[in-house]
Amino acid sequence: MRETEYSQGPPPTLPPRARFRAERFLGAAAMAAICVITLGNVLARYFTDISFAFTEEVSVFLLVFLTFVGSAKAFLDGNQIAMEYLLLKLPWRWRRRGYLFSLAMCALMLGLLAWFGARMAWDDYDMEVTSPGLGWPQWIYTVWLPVLSLAVMARLVQGFVFIFKTKTP
Amino acid sequence: MSWLLFGVLAALMCAGVPIAVALGLSGAAVIAAAKMGIMSVPVTVYAGIAKYPLIAIPVFILAGLIFERSGVAASLVRLAESLVGQRRGGLAVAAVLVCMVLGGISGSGPADSAAVGAIMIPAMTRAGYPREFTASLIAAGGSTAIIIPPSVAFIVYSILVPQASVPALFAAGLVPGVLAGGSLILASIFFSVRNDFGVRDTEARPPFWRSLKEASWALLAPVIILGGMRSGMFTPTEAAVVAVAYGLLVGAFAYRSLGWKEIWKLFEEAAEISAVILLLVGLAALFGWAVDTVGVFNEFAKWLTAKDTGETAVLLAITFMLLVAGTALDAVATYFIFLPFLLPVAAAYGWDPVWLGVIVTLNVAIGQFTPPTAVNLMITARLAGVTMESTTVWVLWFVGAMTAVLLLITFVPEIVLFLPRWLGYL
Repeated sequence: MRETEYSQGPPPTLPPRARFRAERFLGAAAMAAICVITLGNVLARYFTDISFAFTEEVSVFLLVFLTFVGSAKAFLDGNQIAMEYLLLKLPWRWRRRGYLFSLAMCALMLGLLAWFGARMAWDDYDMEVTSPGLGWPQWIYTVWLPVLSLAVMARLVQGFVFIFKTKTP
Repeated sequence: MSWLLFGVLAALMCAGVPIAVALGLSGAAVIAAAKMGIMSVPVTVYAGIAKYPLIAIPVFILAGLIFERSGVAASLVRLAESLVGQRRGGLAVAAVLVCMVLGGISGSGPADSAAVGAIMIPAMTRAGYPREFTASLIAAGGSTAIIIPPSVAFIVYSILVPQASVPALFAAGLVPGVLAGGSLILASIFFSVRNDFGVRDTEARPPFWRSLKEASWALLAPVIILGGMRSGMFTPTEAAVVAVAYGLLVGAFAYRSLGWKEIWKLFEEAAEISAVILLLVGLAALFGWAVDTVGVFNEFAKWLTAKDTGETAVLLAITFMLLVAGTALDAVATYFIFLPFLLPVAAAYGWDPVWLGVIVTLNVAIGQFTPPTAVNLMITARLAGVTMESTTVWVLWFVGAMTAVLLLITFVPEIVLFLPRWLGYL
């Protein structure tokens, strides 16, 4: 959760040079777009006869986009919900190994999503699957799952390298 | 198969791997081992997140952040102080009341604890409350956020249990939430009077009418959210976005505390907090898919109900299990792990799914401030500058108070169900 804001100094797992500028910007933009689309939908329903046909399809995609863009930072600054109770009791020598193991497992998960997600998007492209709402090609949505998974993996690698080098906290 | 599923999950969780990844990997391991088609991994995760009702989650979180940062929290504290005045326990009661109202806007326990703790811990320490007591009380008060509507947790529950609609769950959570807050207020008054907490409260009592006027913007928010949903004007998602628009207008024009830069920062922060919850929802869907396909729990539920176990014994066993799980897991993870098992049991005994949702969520709420792994308590203890171990003597009393409410609504379901029934949601 939002623990890091209230502790003294940055957490030992966050590389000091990682600012997450791109992720933060894209996350906020997706958040804003979701609000604008949904609010527009309410106003359109009450004040005009126009229906926002693409509301559901696009905002649901933005949700997936937001999820991956926004979660990268949380993997490194300890804001992912995890049971760190045991880990925090250990001396740094072992805690460091725990963090490295944890990051490796996260990278494995994101790797699975990137690898099989790429095959899913390829299938959508190959079989010319169209989206249920707007009839657009489905792969323009699904291709973002592997792409963004790779982007999160890049951050995980950055964190892994940083902790690997941090022999003493 | 079930050993593989739970073995991998438990091992990864104990090693400190994020719960989302632990759920996802154990699900994927079973899907791979059972040769159920590995391509369901990306499909399940994508479809698990790309759900229209889930859009309410980031938008409610954003609304909560906007209200918290635009000076609303402070105006609520002043109103609560002017209501209870300077007496023994006055500030303690005010703190719980503010936790309840703020929780009624954001629906996230740790965020609620942090917002209230930042204001109330210094004030209560000056008035003579021990820091350990204050940290325990606010951690407990913040936990009511996931029961008092609008609750982010209930939105996820409704996706897993479609028979329980979001408006019905919100209505059902109101009375138990107020009761839980009330039990904390009673406990804090008892300790304050016995130990003379708050006699050094020397800050002038704020004038009631002016405080009410300043806080009225904040108090209107739950009315708009819940009233809009009740009247059928908005869906939950739309109610959330209307709350955001209202909060932005209040912050920018009524309190004049939010500029463009601050607003953008709030959007960034809301995106990060929501992403953590949504990733958990998506990866937990993998776990859920594995459980459904392997069918681990149906057998267990059948065995349990066929053995003629008394309903009371089953309820107590479930409560105990959830209380233990709640100390380690958050609401979303608890739903995904335990509902596949609880729903068949509930069906066998004819339990109402809305009531079940409230029970499970109140269990998780208690877990949020039960040591040693309590998320809320971790935050408030850090804000107060005390160790979590030192709060144990106080926090266990609050755990006890809220557990009493939990047992009450467990055995008298009508307390939960009369309001949604009266409003016509059941």
